[in-house]
Amino acid sequence: MIATDAALLEQALTGAEDAFTALYRRRQGGVYRFALQMTGSSAIAEDVTQEAFLALILHGTRYDQARGTVASFLYGIARNLVLRRIDRRPWAEMEITEECAGPEDLLEDLTRRESIEHVRQAVLSLPPVFREVIVLCDLQDSSYEEAAAALDCPVGTVRSRLNRGRTMLARKLRGVAGVAGRSIECPKSL
Amino acid sequence: MSEESVIAALRALAAQDGGREAPEAVEDRLLQAFRRKQTHRKWRNGLGWSLAAAAAGLAIFFVAGSHERPKVVAPPPVPRQLVAAVPAPADVATVVPVPKQMQAVRRRLIEQPIEQPLERPIERPIERPVELQRETVTQFFPLLDVAPPFERGELLRVMVPASTMRRVGLPVNENRLADPVYADVLVGQEGLARAIRFVSYEQ
Repeated sequence: MIATDAALLEQALTGAEDAFTALYRRRQGGVYRFALQMTGSSAIAEDVTQEAFLALILHGTRYDQARGTVASFLYGIARNLVLRRIDRRPWAEMEITEECAGPEDLLEDLTRRESIEHVRQAVLSLPPVFREVIVLCDLQDSSYEEAAAALDCPVGTVRSRLNRGRTMLARKLRGVAGVAGRSIECPKSL
Repeated sequence: MSEESVIAALRALAAQDGGREAPEAVEDRLLQAFRRKQTHRKWRNGLGWSLAAAAAGLAIFFVAGSHERPKVVAPPPVPRQLVAAVPAPADVATVVPVPKQMQAVRRRLIEQPIEQPLERPIERPIERPVELQRETVTQFFPLLDVAPPFERGELLRVMVPASTMRRVGLPVNENRLADPVYADVLVGQEGLARAIRFVSYEQ
Protein backbone atom coordinates (compact mmCIF):
# COMPACT_ATOMS: atom_id res chain seq x y z
CA MET A 1 0.00 0.00 0.00
CA ILE A 2 1.38 3.38 -1.02
CA ALA A 3 1.45 5.97 1.75
CA THR A 4 -0.29 9.25 1.00
CA ASP A 5 1.63 12.50 0.91
CA ALA A 6 -0.06 13.60 4.12
CA ALA A 7 0.94 10.39 5.90
CA LEU A 8 4.52 10.73 4.69
CA LEU A 9 4.64 14.33 5.85
CA GLU A 10 3.27 13.38 9.25
CA GLN A 11 5.93 10.70 9.65
CA ALA A 12 8.64 13.02 8.39
CA LEU A 13 7.70 15.60 10.98
CA THR A 14 8.21 13.04 13.72
CA GLY A 15 11.73 12.43 12.45
CA ALA A 16 11.31 9.62 9.90
CA GLU A 17 13.96 10.31 7.29
CA ASP A 18 12.69 7.58 4.97
CA ALA A 19 9.29 9.22 4.86
CA PHE A 20 10.80 12.59 4.03
CA THR A 21 12.95 11.06 1.30
CA ALA A 22 9.93 9.29 -0.19
CA LEU A 23 7.88 12.48 -0.14
CA TYR A 24 10.72 14.48 -1.66
CA ARG A 25 11.28 11.99 -4.45
CA ARG A 26 7.59 11.91 -5.22
CA ARG A 27 7.08 15.66 -5.34
CA GLN A 28 10.39 17.30 -6.21
CA GLY A 29 9.93 16.89 -9.96
CA GLY A 30 6.66 18.79 -9.98
CA VAL A 31 7.99 21.59 -7.81
CA TYR A 32 11.16 21.85 -9.87
CA ARG A 33 9.28 21.96 -13.18
CA PHE A 34 6.79 24.47 -11.81
CA ALA A 35 9.64 26.80 -10.85
CA LEU A 36 11.43 26.16 -14.12
CA GLN A 37 8.38 26.88 -16.23
CA MET A 38 7.57 29.95 -14.17
CA THR A 39 11.06 31.46 -14.39
CA GLY A 40 12.80 29.80 -17.33
CA SER A 41 15.89 29.34 -15.17
CA SER A 42 17.13 25.95 -14.00
CA ALA A 43 19.32 27.62 -11.34
CA ILE A 44 16.32 29.39 -9.83
CA ALA A 45 14.26 26.21 -10.13
CA GLU A 46 16.92 24.34 -8.16
CA ASP A 47 17.00 27.01 -5.45
CA VAL A 48 13.23 27.16 -5.22
CA THR A 49 12.91 23.39 -4.95
CA GLN A 50 15.47 23.29 -2.17
CA GLU A 51 13.90 26.17 -0.28
CA ALA A 52 10.37 24.80 -0.66
CA PHE A 53 11.30 21.44 0.86
CA LEU A 54 13.41 23.14 3.49
CA ALA A 55 10.32 25.13 4.45
CA LEU A 56 8.46 21.84 4.65
CA ILE A 57 11.09 20.51 7.07
CA LEU A 58 10.99 23.62 9.22
CA HIS A 59 7.33 24.61 9.01
CA GLY A 60 5.59 21.46 7.84
CA THR A 61 3.33 21.53 10.88
CA ARG A 62 1.55 24.48 9.28
CA TYR A 63 0.14 22.16 6.64
CA ASP A 64 -3.61 21.80 7.04
CA GLN A 65 -5.13 18.86 5.24
CA ALA A 66 -8.51 20.59 5.17
CA ARG A 67 -7.10 23.34 2.96
CA GLY A 68 -5.64 21.15 0.25
CA THR A 69 -3.15 18.49 -0.67
CA VAL A 70 0.51 18.42 0.28
CA ALA A 71 1.30 19.04 -3.39
CA SER A 72 -0.80 22.22 -3.30
CA PHE A 73 0.95 23.26 -0.12
CA LEU A 74 4.33 22.76 -1.78
CA TYR A 75 3.24 24.58 -4.93
CA GLY A 76 2.01 27.43 -2.76
CA ILE A 77 5.42 27.72 -1.07
CA ALA A 78 7.21 27.42 -4.40
CA ARG A 79 4.95 30.03 -5.93
CA ASN A 80 5.79 32.56 -3.21
CA LEU A 81 9.49 31.90 -3.67
CA VAL A 82 9.18 32.24 -7.43
CA LEU A 83 7.24 35.50 -7.21
CA ARG A 84 9.91 36.97 -4.96
CA ARG A 85 12.53 36.13 -7.55
CA ILE A 86 10.45 37.39 -10.45
CA ASP A 87 10.15 40.71 -8.63
CA ARG A 88 13.92 40.94 -8.33
CA ARG A 89 14.57 39.88 -11.90
CA PRO A 90 14.47 42.37 -14.74
CA TRP A 91 11.24 41.84 -16.59
CA ALA A 92 12.96 42.25 -19.97
CA GLU A 93 14.98 39.15 -19.29
CA MET A 94 11.89 37.04 -19.60
CA GLU A 95 9.97 39.13 -22.08
CA ILE A 96 9.69 37.93 -25.64
CA THR A 97 8.67 39.97 -28.62
CA GLU A 98 4.96 40.13 -29.13
CA GLU A 99 5.06 40.03 -32.91
CA CYS A 100 7.82 38.86 -35.19
CA ALA A 101 6.98 38.20 -38.81
CA GLY A 102 9.80 36.02 -40.07
CA PRO A 103 10.44 34.78 -43.59
CA GLU A 104 8.60 31.59 -44.55
CA ASP A 105 11.76 29.66 -45.42
CA LEU A 106 13.25 30.25 -42.00
CA LEU A 107 10.06 29.18 -40.32
CA GLU A 108 10.20 25.91 -42.19
CA ASP A 109 13.60 25.26 -40.69
CA LEU A 110 12.39 25.49 -37.18
CA THR A 111 12.76 22.16 -35.48
CA ARG A 112 10.17 20.79 -33.16
CA ARG A 113 12.46 21.46 -30.23
CA GLU A 114 12.86 25.10 -31.14
CA SER A 115 9.11 25.36 -31.51
CA ILE A 116 8.60 24.00 -28.06
CA GLU A 117 11.17 26.42 -26.68
CA HIS A 118 9.22 29.15 -28.35
CA VAL A 119 6.09 28.02 -26.56
CA ARG A 120 8.10 28.13 -23.36
CA GLN A 121 9.10 31.71 -24.08
CA ALA A 122 5.49 32.57 -24.81
CA VAL A 123 4.46 31.13 -21.45
CA LEU A 124 7.24 33.06 -19.73
CA SER A 125 6.04 36.26 -21.33
CA LEU A 126 2.63 35.98 -19.69
CA PRO A 127 1.97 38.11 -16.61
CA PRO A 128 2.61 35.97 -13.49
CA VAL A 129 -1.07 35.67 -12.50
CA PHE A 130 -1.91 34.02 -15.81
CA ARG A 131 1.38 32.18 -16.13
CA GLU A 132 0.96 30.36 -12.82
CA VAL A 133 -2.44 28.92 -13.70
CA ILE A 134 -1.22 27.86 -17.15
CA VAL A 135 1.81 26.18 -15.59
CA LEU A 136 -0.18 24.47 -12.86
CA CYS A 137 -3.22 23.36 -14.85
CA ASP A 138 -1.85 22.82 -18.36
CA LEU A 139 1.77 21.88 -17.71
CA GLN A 140 1.59 20.22 -14.29
CA ASP A 141 -1.85 18.66 -14.76
CA SER A 142 -3.09 19.97 -11.45
CA SER A 143 -6.83 20.03 -10.95
CA TYR A 144 -8.61 23.37 -10.62
CA GLU A 145 -9.09 22.66 -6.93
CA GLU A 146 -5.40 21.94 -6.40
CA ALA A 147 -4.43 25.06 -8.31
CA ALA A 148 -6.89 27.12 -6.30
CA ALA A 149 -5.44 25.81 -3.04
CA ALA A 150 -1.88 26.51 -4.19
CA LEU A 151 -2.70 30.00 -5.42
CA ASP A 152 -5.00 30.74 -2.49
CA CYS A 153 -7.87 31.88 -4.66
CA PRO A 154 -11.34 30.54 -5.60
CA VAL A 155 -11.74 27.85 -8.25
CA GLY A 156 -13.69 30.30 -10.39
CA THR A 157 -10.73 32.64 -10.48
CA VAL A 158 -8.50 29.79 -11.62
CA ARG A 159 -10.90 28.98 -14.48
CA SER A 160 -11.19 32.56 -15.66
CA ARG A 161 -7.44 33.17 -15.47
CA LEU A 162 -6.81 29.95 -17.34
CA ASN A 163 -9.14 30.96 -20.16
CA ARG A 164 -7.63 34.38 -20.37
CA GLY A 165 -4.10 33.01 -20.23
CA ARG A 166 -4.78 30.59 -23.04
CA THR A 167 -6.25 33.37 -25.14
CA MET A 168 -3.14 35.48 -24.58
CA LEU A 169 -0.95 32.54 -25.51
CA ALA A 170 -2.94 31.93 -28.67
CA ARG A 171 -2.38 35.53 -29.66
CA LYS A 172 1.34 35.25 -29.01
CA LEU A 173 1.67 32.02 -30.99
CA ARG A 174 -0.65 33.10 -33.81
CA GLY A 175 0.52 32.77 -37.40
CA VAL A 176 3.76 30.95 -36.75
CA ALA A 177 4.51 27.37 -37.82
CA GLY A 178 5.49 24.98 -35.11
CA VAL A 179 4.25 22.48 -32.66
CA ALA A 180 2.31 19.53 -34.08
CA GLY A 181 2.24 21.09 -37.52
CA ARG A 182 0.73 24.30 -36.24
CA SER A 183 2.25 27.68 -36.67
CA ILE A 184 4.23 29.68 -34.13
CA GLU A 185 5.82 33.05 -34.42
CA CYS A 186 9.44 33.58 -35.30
CA PRO A 187 11.85 34.28 -32.46
CA LYS A 188 13.59 37.63 -32.62
CA SER A 189 16.98 35.99 -33.06
CA LEU A 190 16.01 34.81 -36.53
CA MET B 1 -4.71 29.94 -33.11
CA SER B 2 -7.47 27.96 -31.44
CA GLU B 3 -7.57 27.04 -27.78
CA GLU B 4 -7.11 23.38 -28.72
CA SER B 5 -3.91 24.25 -30.56
CA VAL B 6 -2.62 26.16 -27.54
CA ILE B 7 -3.40 23.21 -25.30
CA ALA B 8 -1.62 20.88 -27.73
CA ALA B 9 1.43 23.16 -27.77
CA LEU B 10 1.43 23.25 -23.97
CA ARG B 11 1.18 19.46 -23.82
CA ALA B 12 4.21 19.21 -26.07
CA LEU B 13 6.09 21.52 -23.72
CA ALA B 14 4.91 19.50 -20.68
CA ALA B 15 6.05 16.29 -22.37
CA GLN B 16 9.46 17.71 -23.10
CA ASP B 17 9.88 18.87 -19.50
CA GLY B 18 8.37 15.69 -18.08
CA GLY B 19 11.69 14.13 -17.19
CA ARG B 20 13.29 17.24 -15.72
CA GLU B 21 14.03 17.02 -12.04
CA ALA B 22 16.06 18.78 -9.42
CA PRO B 23 19.73 17.72 -9.29
CA GLU B 24 20.65 15.02 -6.78
CA ALA B 25 22.72 17.52 -4.83
CA VAL B 26 19.48 19.16 -3.71
CA GLU B 27 18.31 15.93 -2.11
CA ASP B 28 21.66 15.54 -0.35
CA ARG B 29 21.53 19.07 1.02
CA LEU B 30 17.95 18.63 2.17
CA LEU B 31 18.72 15.37 3.93
CA GLN B 32 21.58 17.07 5.76
CA ALA B 33 19.21 19.84 6.82
CA PHE B 34 16.65 17.25 7.88
CA ARG B 35 19.20 15.43 10.06
CA ARG B 36 20.38 18.69 11.60
CA LYS B 37 16.79 19.58 12.42
CA GLN B 38 16.19 16.23 14.07
CA THR B 39 19.36 16.48 16.16
CA HIS B 40 18.46 20.02 17.15
CA ARG B 41 14.92 18.95 18.01
CA LYS B 42 16.11 16.06 20.19
CA TRP B 43 18.43 18.09 22.35
CA ARG B 44 15.98 20.96 22.55
CA ASN B 45 13.28 18.62 23.76
CA GLY B 46 15.76 17.11 26.21
CA LEU B 47 16.80 20.51 27.43
CA GLY B 48 13.19 21.60 27.65
CA TRP B 49 12.22 18.63 29.79
CA SER B 50 15.27 19.01 32.03
CA LEU B 51 14.55 22.66 32.58
CA ALA B 52 10.88 21.94 33.14
CA ALA B 53 11.87 19.36 35.73
CA ALA B 54 14.31 21.78 37.32
CA ALA B 55 11.68 24.52 37.31
CA ALA B 56 9.08 22.18 38.78
CA GLY B 57 11.54 21.06 41.45
CA LEU B 58 12.33 24.65 42.26
CA ALA B 59 8.65 25.55 42.44
CA ILE B 60 7.97 22.63 44.79
CA PHE B 61 10.94 23.65 46.91
CA PHE B 62 9.66 27.21 47.22
CA VAL B 63 6.06 26.18 47.89
CA ALA B 64 7.13 23.66 50.53
CA GLY B 65 9.58 26.13 52.04
CA SER B 66 6.95 28.82 52.44
CA HIS B 67 4.90 26.58 54.78
CA GLU B 68 7.76 25.70 57.10
CA ARG B 69 9.03 27.89 59.91
CA PRO B 70 12.70 28.52 59.77
CA LYS B 71 14.52 26.23 62.16
CA VAL B 72 16.87 27.62 64.75
CA VAL B 73 20.20 26.07 64.09
CA ALA B 74 22.47 25.62 67.06
CA PRO B 75 25.97 26.91 66.61
CA PRO B 76 28.46 24.16 65.99
CA PRO B 77 30.24 22.98 69.13
CA VAL B 78 33.73 24.27 69.62
CA PRO B 79 36.20 21.41 69.43
CA ARG B 80 37.88 20.56 72.73
CA GLN B 81 41.29 20.72 71.20
CA LEU B 82 40.75 24.35 70.28
CA VAL B 83 39.52 25.20 73.77
CA ALA B 84 42.48 23.53 75.33
CA ALA B 85 44.90 25.23 73.07
CA VAL B 86 43.67 28.71 73.87
CA PRO B 87 45.19 29.97 77.10
CA ALA B 88 42.70 30.99 79.71
CA PRO B 89 42.39 34.75 80.02
CA ALA B 90 43.84 36.32 83.14
CA ASP B 91 41.46 37.85 85.61
CA VAL B 92 41.47 41.42 84.43
CA ALA B 93 40.06 42.73 87.70
CA THR B 94 42.95 41.36 89.64
CA VAL B 95 45.55 42.74 87.33
CA VAL B 96 44.22 46.13 86.39
CA PRO B 97 43.55 48.44 89.32
CA VAL B 98 40.05 49.95 89.21
CA PRO B 99 39.99 53.70 89.74
CA LYS B 100 38.19 55.01 92.81
CA GLN B 101 35.44 56.71 90.83
CA MET B 102 34.68 53.48 89.04
CA GLN B 103 34.63 51.59 92.28
CA ALA B 104 31.91 53.91 93.53
CA VAL B 105 29.88 53.41 90.39
CA ARG B 106 30.39 49.69 90.63
CA ARG B 107 29.19 49.67 94.20
CA ARG B 108 26.11 51.67 93.32
CA LEU B 109 25.17 49.46 90.39
CA ILE B 110 25.79 46.17 92.10
CA GLU B 111 24.85 46.81 95.69
CA GLN B 112 21.84 49.13 95.32
CA PRO B 113 18.61 47.50 94.19
CA ILE B 114 17.28 48.50 90.80
CA GLU B 115 14.21 50.60 91.21
CA GLN B 116 13.60 51.46 87.59
CA PRO B 117 14.59 49.55 84.56
CA LEU B 118 17.47 50.98 82.70
CA GLU B 119 16.61 52.91 79.61
CA ARG B 120 17.08 50.89 76.51
CA PRO B 121 19.24 52.44 73.85
CA ILE B 122 17.37 53.88 70.88
CA GLU B 123 17.08 51.29 68.17
CA ARG B 124 18.15 52.54 64.81
CA PRO B 125 17.12 50.75 61.65
CA ILE B 126 19.91 48.79 60.09
CA GLU B 127 20.97 50.39 56.88
CA ARG B 128 21.12 47.80 54.16
CA PRO B 129 24.15 47.96 51.94
CA VAL B 130 23.47 49.57 48.59
CA GLU B 131 22.89 47.02 45.83
CA LEU B 132 26.06 47.10 43.83
CA GLN B 133 25.26 44.31 41.43
CA ARG B 134 23.54 45.07 38.17
CA GLU B 135 21.63 42.36 36.37
CA THR B 136 21.91 41.87 32.63
CA VAL B 137 19.94 39.31 30.68
CA THR B 138 20.15 37.81 27.23
CA GLN B 139 17.26 37.52 24.84
CA PHE B 140 14.85 34.60 25.30
CA PHE B 141 15.71 31.45 23.40
CA PRO B 142 12.72 29.26 22.51
CA LEU B 143 12.81 25.70 23.78
CA LEU B 144 9.84 24.30 21.89
CA ASP B 145 9.58 23.84 18.15
CA VAL B 146 5.86 24.32 18.13
CA ALA B 147 4.57 25.81 21.31
CA PRO B 148 0.89 25.66 22.22
CA PRO B 149 -0.80 29.07 22.59
CA PHE B 150 0.60 31.01 25.51
CA GLU B 151 -1.97 32.10 28.05
CA ARG B 152 -0.03 32.58 31.24
CA GLY B 153 3.18 31.44 32.73
CA GLU B 154 5.84 31.96 35.30
CA LEU B 155 9.40 33.06 35.09
CA LEU B 156 11.57 30.90 37.29
CA ARG B 157 15.18 31.64 38.07
CA VAL B 158 17.29 28.53 38.08
CA MET B 159 20.95 27.68 38.00
CA VAL B 160 22.18 25.67 35.06
CA PRO B 161 25.61 24.65 33.81
CA ALA B 162 27.20 27.05 31.33
CA SER B 163 27.11 24.29 28.72
CA THR B 164 23.38 25.09 28.42
CA MET B 165 24.33 28.43 26.91
CA ARG B 166 26.29 26.67 24.23
CA ARG B 167 23.23 24.60 23.38
CA VAL B 168 21.33 27.69 22.33
CA GLY B 169 24.29 28.93 20.34
CA LEU B 170 25.95 31.28 22.80
CA PRO B 171 29.74 31.17 22.99
CA VAL B 172 31.16 29.62 26.14
CA ASN B 173 34.77 29.13 27.13
CA GLU B 174 35.68 25.46 26.84
CA ASN B 175 37.12 25.40 30.35
CA ARG B 176 34.02 26.88 31.95
CA LEU B 177 31.32 24.60 30.58
CA ALA B 178 30.58 23.21 34.01
CA ASP B 179 30.35 26.60 35.72
CA PRO B 180 26.92 27.37 37.11
CA VAL B 181 25.05 30.29 35.56
CA TYR B 182 21.74 31.85 36.40
CA ALA B 183 18.90 31.48 33.93
CA ASP B 184 15.26 32.54 33.78
CA VAL B 185 12.99 29.81 32.49
CA LEU B 186 9.59 30.77 31.13
CA VAL B 187 7.19 28.00 32.09
CA GLY B 188 3.80 28.05 30.40
CA GLN B 189 0.41 27.26 31.87
CA GLU B 190 0.77 23.63 30.82
CA GLY B 191 4.03 23.26 32.74
CA LEU B 192 6.29 23.19 29.70
CA ALA B 193 9.48 25.21 29.68
CA ARG B 194 8.98 27.46 26.67
CA ALA B 195 12.00 29.69 26.64
CA ILE B 196 15.17 30.43 28.53
CA ARG B 197 17.32 33.49 29.01
CA PHE B 198 20.59 33.80 30.81
CA VAL B 199 21.38 36.23 33.57
CA SER B 200 24.68 37.72 34.58
CA TYR B 201 25.56 40.12 37.36
CA GLU B 202 27.90 43.00 36.97
CA GLN B 203 29.43 45.00 39.79
